[in-house]
Amino acid sequence: MEKKLKDLREGYLQTPIPKELKDVVQAALNERPRKKPRIGRNILVSAAAALLIVTASVNTSPAAAKAMIDIPIVEKVIKMITFVEWKEEVNNSSAVIKTPAISGLENKQLENGLNDKYLSESKQLYKEFTDSMSKLKEGEKGNISVESGYKILTDNETILSVQRYTDKISASSSTESQFDTVDKKNEVLITLNSLFKDDRYLQVISENIKEQMKQQMAEDPDKIYWAEDDDLTPFKGIDENQNFYINKDGKLVIAFNSFEAAPGYMGAVEFIIPTKVLSDHLVGNQYIH
Amino acid sequence: MKNLDMNQLLAARITERQENLYRLAFYYVKNQEDALDIVQESIRKALASSNKIKDAASIDSWLYKIIVRTALDILRKKKKLTVADDETIEYLRSGEEDYYPDLDLQKALEGLSVKYKTVVILRFFEDLKLEGIAEVLEENVSTVKTRLYKALQLLRINMTEQEETKRWKKN
Repeated sequence: MEKKLKDLREGYLQTPIPKELKDVVQAALNERPRKKPRIGRNILVSAAAALLIVTASVNTSPAAAKAMIDIPIVEKVIKMITFVEWKEEVNNSSAVIKTPAISGLENKQLENGLNDKYLSESKQLYKEFTDSMSKLKEGEKGNISVESGYKILTDNETILSVQRYTDKISASSSTESQFDTVDKKNEVLITLNSLFKDDRYLQVISENIKEQMKQQMAEDPDKIYWAEDDDLTPFKGIDENQNFYINKDGKLVIAFNSFEAAPGYMGAVEFIIPTKVLSDHLVGNQYIH
Repeated sequence: MKNLDMNQLLAARITERQENLYRLAFYYVKNQEDALDIVQESIRKALASSNKIKDAASIDSWLYKIIVRTALDILRKKKKLTVADDETIEYLRSGEEDYYPDLDLQKALEGLSVKYKTVVILRFFEDLKLEGIAEVLEENVSTVKTRLYKALQLLRINMTEQEETKRWKKN
């Protein structure tokens, strides 16, 4: 029996390997991983469309831009527009970088500060892309995709919350986001600290997130967060620089980039913090209610 | 960044083991075209769900698992065709095949159901440990052990049957 199995094994190992195998394997390995759907991408489509029209005309036609300046402003309109968009495709790689700009603020210092930040970050991203392209040897393919843009999360009378995201796809994909929330009435940038009376909120929010993580994991075995202390990189808690925004319902949303609080396949995750958990610590209820 | 490393590791492992993966695929479908398709599709699946790998040590059995499943999928899709083919081949062959001694066992192995065939291949041809096979099949180790034992028993039975037929033919 032993001997016969060995013979059989020899036969098995002699299965002819076709020449094509190497190419097939290599090609399959080089395929771009299928992109995971970005969480919460379905934003106010109509608003976005409307915005696009404004943006397009501002960007494409100097006359239209001029005309818009000349229109007497009846009501102060604070809006996000696409200031500039770069597109480039080389070596099987592509970069689409959209830079937003906020307009309509009377507080020019805030407006310029934000816009300068957006522009310099986009420039940096574009430079990184062209740098990595120029490092490629001739004939070598980059297979990199960089997409950067923004979306308006909340735009009501009081606040404007904007997310700027960068998707990088090479061997794996990652999404990084940054958020800005502007108080439209008082024209100030809202920070996490500015929402609360003192820093006890950090602990309150962190605990609430841990609870939500555990609850979600218990309800759905496919979900994994690094919530346990014995995880390799356990989620310890948030700090004052944590990404956040205020959603349309006036709830505080804490946002994490890919890999930050959960394994990569979970993508970027967000937690809505129930307002009743926060109410003792909030300065007021004008933003969060 | 955990995932990035895992992808690199995975790609390296796939490149290294490509012939093993191909052989296994070929064993199920018996033709180059389908076997290449299986390998290609399996790599896609592997890359798309690399985050499910729990530790680097289990990459191999995880890859085998994907190959086996993809192969079985293809077989299932082609089932009708295969049955007809087998019959035709069997009819056309008419007893002229028994020249090589290991062809008997080969045939005996072919005669096993996929369930048993897979454990024999993984254990004896691909040198996987019982734990590894258990991972591939998502069964517990003792089930695998029983199945392997049963497979060997069946092989012996099958072989005796064939040897007897041969003896009978010679006479």
